[in-house]
Amino acid sequence: MSISSALEQLASYRARNTRASQDTFKKGCAVLKSKVSIGDDGWAFLEQLALASIDVGRLDIADECLRQLFNKFPNSPRVAVLSGIRREATDPPEQVLKYYDDLLKMDDTNAAAWKRRISILRRIGKIEKAVQELAQFLDTFYTDADGWLELADIYSSCNQYTHALEALSHALALSPQNPFTVLQFAETAYTSGDLPLALKMFLVVIDMSESDIQAPQDNPPSGICVRAWWGIKLCSRRLMESRSHPGSASDTRLPKNLNLIDELATERVLTAYSGEQGTQ
Amino acid sequence: MVDSVPSLYLDPQIRDWVLFPITLVMILVGILRHYVVQLLHSPPKRLPRAALREQRALARSHILRATSSNSPLPPTFYTSISSHLSLAFTTGTYLKDGPPTGDAPSAPPNPITDPAAMDGMMAGMKTQMVMMVPQMIIMGWINFFFQGFVLIKLPFPLTLGFKSMLQRGIETPDMDVRWVSSLSWYFLNFFGLNGLYRLILGNDNSADSSRDMISSPFANMGGAAPGQPQDFVKLFKAERDNLAFAEGLYSWVGTDVENRVLRRYGKI
Repeated sequence: MSISSALEQLASYRARNTRASQDTFKKGCAVLKSKVSIGDDGWAFLEQLALASIDVGRLDIADECLRQLFNKFPNSPRVAVLSGIRREATDPPEQVLKYYDDLLKMDDTNAAAWKRRISILRRIGKIEKAVQELAQFLDTFYTDADGWLELADIYSSCNQYTHALEALSHALALSPQNPFTVLQFAETAYTSGDLPLALKMFLVVIDMSESDIQAPQDNPPSGICVRAWWGIKLCSRRLMESRSHPGSASDTRLPKNLNLIDELATERVLTAYSGEQGTQ
Repeated sequence: MVDSVPSLYLDPQIRDWVLFPITLVMILVGILRHYVVQLLHSPPKRLPRAALREQRALARSHILRATSSNSPLPPTFYTSISSHLSLAFTTGTYLKDGPPTGDAPSAPPNPITDPAAMDGMMAGMKTQMVMMVPQMIIMGWINFFFQGFVLIKLPFPLTLGFKSMLQRGIETPDMDVRWVSSLSWYFLNFFGLNGLYRLILGNDNSADSSRDMISSPFANMGGAAPGQPQDFVKLFKAERDNLAFAEGLYSWVGTDVENRVLRRYGKI
């Protein structure tokens, strides 16, 4: 593995925001040791290596990267947040919270520092405060889809599924082409008991993912569709069992040909597991 | 008698010592201007959180409306977000100074009293000054040194009306309008060097003086200046109407999804 191929791989990780920390750390250390000059991307590379080394626990390498970055960019908010992340690894949370507070006092539009603060609040258990601050954050920085997903996650962890669905609906509005958000919406709806809504949303996932496939029945479902077909099967089975429809919290109407859907879902799930890698 | 065939013979020294120097000076001044404007240009001021929120509030409803005809959001969720936004726009929740107190009608932010807008206007006027002063200096220089003789013959014919403007200082009743003075060469360069600047300095250069004539310092008050006194109250009101339209166009992507899927698998 040469240095240039390592650099290429690291650049592609940066572009796709992949969190392959062990691999990044290994390649990054090799590049760092070789002391080859990387050019303009060198600073982004140092940031990436610092994050990866904090992730795997090698704080010494992280400190080295941070030192170089700080020497070059002493007043940068980005480096300040990175240094905050490094402190989160060793310092008590209240101290780091105060550090982020100071950063925010200097510049109250520093979104990254705010987000780190919220994540610390969640980690130490101050869920209410975390939710409050996250809601305030998303009120200002509406377009942060990850923030909405995090809010939905916090609500779901406290079993507040209605609020979670509301947060997910904002995330959906922001990334309407992302079938994973739709799947999360469907599964949250299922967990909260709104079966017709869940069924519809699972079907939307299938519709979205297979819209460009000509003859889908020829191939077993793959990837996200397996999970969606499972969801459809579970919903339709429960809906058919309980003939006294419990009603949908979101007033979603039941699809008329429920038994056809159930049949199709059964067929697809069995096909997914019938191949050589299957469980049969 | 006016000879229709042009018979004026110009001293070639005129070409060497007037034509080229004027052009050279204008090019150099233009490039100098470009760099001075770059130096003077201060980085955009950081907005405080409330102002940022106000600016981005419109984006929320744009995002919602963008997918409204094929919306992934189920009806109850769509209408709840839409009505929440509508209400917020009406009561002015997103305004950076908070919702209007109710007694004083909200006036559009006066550019003179609003400090943030004032900074923007000052910056604009600074650039205008830098652009205009060199032009006036060059014009004065040309008028002083290069007056009273004919410089070039224009390749295209013009009407007599232009004689007074283009032959200032050489008042002859019979000379063809095509023979012009150095000041008109200055004007030709003034409008024509834009192409050359684009080659040297790239497209977004500040050396192009013909643009100054169009945008005076008072054009910025019109409200279209980047990020300056935009009347958010009116914008929010307009956005509320847009939301109502979008709600009319709304349709959920999941309305008929089961039939679509069943049809694709040939079940119906």
